[in-house]
Amino acid sequence: MQDTVTTSALLDPSHSSVSTQDKSSTGGHTSSTSPQLSKPSITPVPAKSRNPHPRANICRMRRIIAEDPEWSLAIVPLLTELCIQHIIRNFQKNPILKQMLPEHQQKVLNHLSPDLPLAVTANLIDNENYWLRCCMHRWPVCHVAHHGGSWKRMFFERHLENLLKHFIPGTTDPAVILDLLPLCRNYVRRVHVDQFLPPVQLPAQLRPGDQSDSGSEGEMEEPTVDHYQLGDLVAGLSHLEELDLVYDVKDCGMNFEWNLFLFTYRDCLSLAAAIKACHTLKIFKLTRSKVDDDKARIIIRSLLDHPVLEELDLSQNLIGDRGARGAAKLLSHSRLRVLNLANNQVRAPGAQSLAHALAHNTNLISLNLRLNCIEDEGGQALAHALQTNKCLTTLHLGGNELSEPTATLLSQVLAINTTLTSINLSCNHIGLDGGKQLLEGMSDNKTLLEFDLRLSDVAQESEYLIGQALYANQEAARQRALNPSHFMSTITANGPENSVG
Amino acid sequence: MNWLADGSGRPVSWKLAKLLLCGTELVTNIQVAIDIREIHRRVEEEEIKRQRIEKLENEVKTSQDKFDEITSKWEEGKQKRIPQELWEMLNTQQLHCAGLLEDKNKLISELQQELKTKDDQYVKDLKKQSDDICLLLERMEEQVKNVMKTFREELYNIEKAFEVERQELLASNKKKWERALQAHNAKELEYLNNRMKKVEDYEKQLNRQRIWDCEEYNMIKIKLEQDVQILEQQLQQRKAIYQLNQEKLEYNLQVLKKRDEESTVIKSQQKRKINRLHDILNNLRSKYAKQIKQFQEENQSLTSDYKRLVMQFKELQKAMRHFALIDDEKFREIWLMNEEEAKDLIARAFDVDRIIHTHHLGLPWAAPDFWFLNNVGPISQQPQKSATQIVEEMLMRSEEEEAEEATSEPESYLDLPKQISEKTTKRILMLLCDESGFLIESKLLSLLLPLEQNECYLLRLDAIFSALGIESEDDLYKLVNFFLKYRAHRLSSSLQIKPCSQASMEKASMEETSTRSELELAEQTEMEGEKEESLVEGEKEEEEETPPSPWVIHPNDVLKILEAFVMGLKKPRDSWAPLRVQKNVCDNSKDSEYWQALTTVIPSSKQNLWDALYTALEKYHLVLTQRAKLLLENSSLEQQNTELQALLQQYLNSKINSELQVPPTQVLRVPTK
Repeated sequence: MQDTVTTSALLDPSHSSVSTQDKSSTGGHTSSTSPQLSKPSITPVPAKSRNPHPRANICRMRRIIAEDPEWSLAIVPLLTELCIQHIIRNFQKNPILKQMLPEHQQKVLNHLSPDLPLAVTANLIDNENYWLRCCMHRWPVCHVAHHGGSWKRMFFERHLENLLKHFIPGTTDPAVILDLLPLCRNYVRRVHVDQFLPPVQLPAQLRPGDQSDSGSEGEMEEPTVDHYQLGDLVAGLSHLEELDLVYDVKDCGMNFEWNLFLFTYRDCLSLAAAIKACHTLKIFKLTRSKVDDDKARIIIRSLLDHPVLEELDLSQNLIGDRGARGAAKLLSHSRLRVLNLANNQVRAPGAQSLAHALAHNTNLISLNLRLNCIEDEGGQALAHALQTNKCLTTLHLGGNELSEPTATLLSQVLAINTTLTSINLSCNHIGLDGGKQLLEGMSDNKTLLEFDLRLSDVAQESEYLIGQALYANQEAARQRALNPSHFMSTITANGPENSVG
Repeated sequence: MNWLADGSGRPVSWKLAKLLLCGTELVTNIQVAIDIREIHRRVEEEEIKRQRIEKLENEVKTSQDKFDEITSKWEEGKQKRIPQELWEMLNTQQLHCAGLLEDKNKLISELQQELKTKDDQYVKDLKKQSDDICLLLERMEEQVKNVMKTFREELYNIEKAFEVERQELLASNKKKWERALQAHNAKELEYLNNRMKKVEDYEKQLNRQRIWDCEEYNMIKIKLEQDVQILEQQLQQRKAIYQLNQEKLEYNLQVLKKRDEESTVIKSQQKRKINRLHDILNNLRSKYAKQIKQFQEENQSLTSDYKRLVMQFKELQKAMRHFALIDDEKFREIWLMNEEEAKDLIARAFDVDRIIHTHHLGLPWAAPDFWFLNNVGPISQQPQKSATQIVEEMLMRSEEEEAEEATSEPESYLDLPKQISEKTTKRILMLLCDESGFLIESKLLSLLLPLEQNECYLLRLDAIFSALGIESEDDLYKLVNFFLKYRAHRLSSSLQIKPCSQASMEKASMEETSTRSELELAEQTEMEGEKEESLVEGEKEEEEETPPSPWVIHPNDVLKILEAFVMGLKKPRDSWAPLRVQKNVCDNSKDSEYWQALTTVIPSSKQNLWDALYTALEKYHLVLTQRAKLLLENSSLEQQNTELQALLQQYLNSKINSELQVPPTQVLRVPTK
C-alpha cells in the first residue's frame, strides 16, 4: 500500500514537470532530451515569422547556430514566462494567483516552494498538486486515503496533529495553535492525536528528589498535570467530524513516570465541554487514556442527544459497569451507529444494561465488547436483546468468559435474526455442546457472514461445518451483490455445490 | 466458465476466498492468542492478587496481635519496680519488636521479590510481544505475498482463459464469416445474372414500347391538330359572339348607368320622402303623446265624473229608496184612502142594496162574502211571513186559542193553505223536532234546558229550519206537504186527500180546542194523548176514508222524508231569482184585479135589477107624483073651496070679502111648485 502511494505520488510531479523542463534541463539531459528539444526549436519559428523580416532572422539564426546546434535565439524565454518566474519568486510578499489564466496558474503552482508560510497559501491555493508536494516534502509516508483523498486536508490535519503532539502546556505558546486556526478551520475534518505531553519542565527537575513520596506529591501536582485544553481548537474548527485522542506519552524511555499517563478531571471536563459544543462531530475516539467510570460518564453525558454523532470508541480504558450503563443510556439518546468498549472492565451488570438499551435500539450497527468480562449473565442478556433488535450487524464478544448457556441462547437468536452479519466469540469457553448448538442455529441462518469461534473449546467438526454454512452465506451475498435481481436463482444453483463441499 | 474452476471442480473464487480467510485467520490468530494469554494472565493475576491480599491481611492480623501483645506488656512493664525485671522485660520487648520488624521486612522483601519477578516477566512479555509483532509482520508479509502470488496466478489464468476463449471465438467467427461471405458471393452472382436477364428483357420491352408510343404519338398528333383547327374555327366564332356580346353588354351598361342615375334620383327622392315621413311620424308621435296625455286627463276627469256619478247614483238610490218608501207609504195611504172611499161606496152600495132588498123588494139580504173586502192596504206590500214566525204564531195560537177562540180563528185559517190543517202541521213539526235533534247544536240544547216547552220547541225548530234551508212560509208548507204526500204514497189505499178534509180538520181542531179549554192546562204529554184521542174521535166522527194524520208517520221514516225533501228542495231554489220578478208583475195584476173586483162588487145582474127597479120606481114615482099632484090639486081645491067659502062668507060678512078674494090664477100656481 505504501509503495503504491509513494510511487504514484512520485510519478505525478514528473508528468507535470515535463512541460516546464525546457528551461531547467538545458544542461542535464543532453542525450535523452535531444528529440524533445527539436520541438521547442521549431515552434518559435512560426511565432517569429510574423515579425517584419523573418527571413533575415532565420538566416541570421542559421548563421549563428551553425557551430552550436543547441544554441538558439528562441531560448530567450517569453515575457509571460518571465512574469511567472517573478510571481513565483515574490509569491510570499505578493501572492497573485486568481487573476491569472488557468494555464499560468498551473505553472505558478508547479513551481511554488512547499516552504511558503501557511498564512499565504492556506486560503489561496486549492490545487491538490501543490499540497501533494508540500506533504511529500514534509513526511516520507503519506496515506492520503486516511484523509478523504484530499492532500490539502491531509497537510493541515497532520500539521495540526504535529503541533498538538508537541505542545507542552505552560511552555509552548498557545498562540501557535490558535494562529493556525483561521487558516485550517475549513479544511480540517479529523483530528487524530496519539500523544498529549504534560507540563514537564518543573516536575522533571524536581523528579529525582521526589521519587520517594511520589504518591503524595502526585495529588499535589494534579492541577499541573493537565494537558492541552482542546476547547478553543474544537470550537474553531467548523468542519470537524472526527476526534481521535489518546492521552498518552510516547517514547518516554527511561523517564517513565505514572504521572505522565494521567487523564485528569479537568482534561475530562474541558474535553466534554468541547465535544458538546461541536455539533458536526461524527466520530469520537478516546482510547488508551485510563478513562474510568466517572470520566466516562462525564464524557457520555456531554454526548447525550448529540445531533450527528455516529461512532463512539472508548476502547482500552478502565470503564466498568457504571460507564457501561452510561453508554447504554447514550444508545437510547443519540443516533450512535458504532460503539466500541473493547478491553475495558465491563462486567455482567453493565452488559445487561447495554442489552436492555439494545433491545429497542434502531441505530446501532456495531457493538464491540472485546476483552471484557461480561460472563454468561451479560451474554444471555445480550442474546435476549438480539431477539428483538433489528439493526445490529456486528457483534464482538471475544474474551468475555462466555460459556454454553450463552451459546444456546445465541443459537436461538441465529435462527431468528436476519440482520447480524458478523459475530465474534473467540477466546471464550463455549465448549463442545455449545458448539453443536451454535451449529444448529447456523443451519437456519442465511445472513451471517462471519462467525469467529477460535480458541473457544469448540469441536473441530462443528467449527468446520459452521465455516461451510458461513461460506454458503458469503457466496449468496456475493451473488446478491453481483446481480441483485437474480439472486434467488443463484442461491438455488449454489445449493448442490454447498452439499458437495 | 471452465477457467473459473480448477481440478477439484470448485470455483476459483472459493479457493481465493479460502486463501484470504486462512491468511487473515493466520494473522489474527496471533491477536486471539494474545487475547487468550491476556485473559489467562488476568485470571492468574486476580488469583495472585487475591492470595496476596489474603496474605497481607493475615500478616496484618498477626502483626496486630503481636503489636497488641507488646503494647500490653508495656503496661505491664510500667508496674514493674525492680530494674532487673524491667530490663528483662525490655529485652523481651526488644526481641518481640525485632521479630515484628523482621516479619515486616520479610514481607517487604517477599513483595519486592515478587515485583522483581514481575519486572522480569514484564521484560519477558515485552520481548514476547515484540516477537509476536515480528511474527505478525512476517505473517502479514507472507500473506501479502501469497495473496499477491495467487491473485497474479489467477489473473494469469483468467487472462489465459480469456485468450483461449477469444481465439476460439475468433476462429469460429472467422469460419462463420467466411461461410457467410461465400453464401453472399454466390447470391451476388445469382442476383447479377438475374439482373442481366432482366435488363435484356426490359430493353426489349422498351424498344417495343418506344415503337408503339411513336405510332400512338403520331396518331394523337394528327388528331390533335385537327382538333386545333376545329377549335380555332370555334374560337373565331366565339370571338364574333364575344364582340356582339360586348356591344350588347356595353349597351346594357349604358342602360344600367342611366338606370343607376335614375335610381339615385329616386333614392334621393325616397330619402326626402323618408325624411318627410319621419317628420310626420315625429309630429304624429308628439300628437300621440299629446293625445295620450289628453286622454289621460280625460280619463281622469271621466273617472272623477264617474265617481261623482256613482256618488250621485248612490245618493239617488238612497233618495229612491227613500222615495220608494215614501211612495209606498203614499201608495198605501192613497190605497187606504181610496179603499176606504171604495169601501164606503161599497158599504153604501150594500146599504142601498140591502134597503132595496129589504124595503123595496122585500127579500132577505145576505152580505156578499168577497176576499178583497177584508183586505186592508196594498196587496203587493203584504209581508211574507217567515217559517219560524208561522210556527211561533202557530204555537202561540195553540196556547192562546182557548182564550180568544172566535176572534183569531178566521184570521189564522186564512194563512194556511187549504189542504193542510194547522194541527197537522203542528204534529208534523213536533215529530220533526223530536226526531231530528241531531241538526241542533249541542250548545243550544244545553241552553234550551231551562226554557219552557213551547219556547224550547220554537228555538229547536228554528235551528232545524236554518239547517234544512227552510226560510219562508212556502218552504214550510212545502215541507208539510211533502210529509203528507209521502204518507199518502205509503198508504196507497187512501190516496187522495180530499179538500173537505180541511173542513173536517178545522172542525176537529175546534173541538179539540174546546176540549182543551175544558181540561184547563193539563200536562203536555197528556194533552197530546188527548189530542190524539180527540182527533181520532174527530176522524171517526167524520169518515173512515180521511187519511190518517201525521201520527201515522212512523218516527223512523222522518229522516228518510227529510233527506228526500232536502234533495227535492234544492231544485226550486235554483230558479229563485226569476220568480221574484214575476211576483212583482203578478202583484200589479193582483192590484188591478183587486180594483177591478172592487168595481164589480155589485154584480151586473143586480145592476140590471136595479135598473129595472129604478125604471119601475120611476114609473111608480111618476104615478105617485101624479097622484100627489092630484092630491094637491085636490087639497088645494078643497082649500080653495073652503076659502072661497070663507071668503065668500067674509065677503059675505065683510067688506073685505072683496079684498080677500083670491083670483083663480093664484090658486093654480101652488101645485106647479
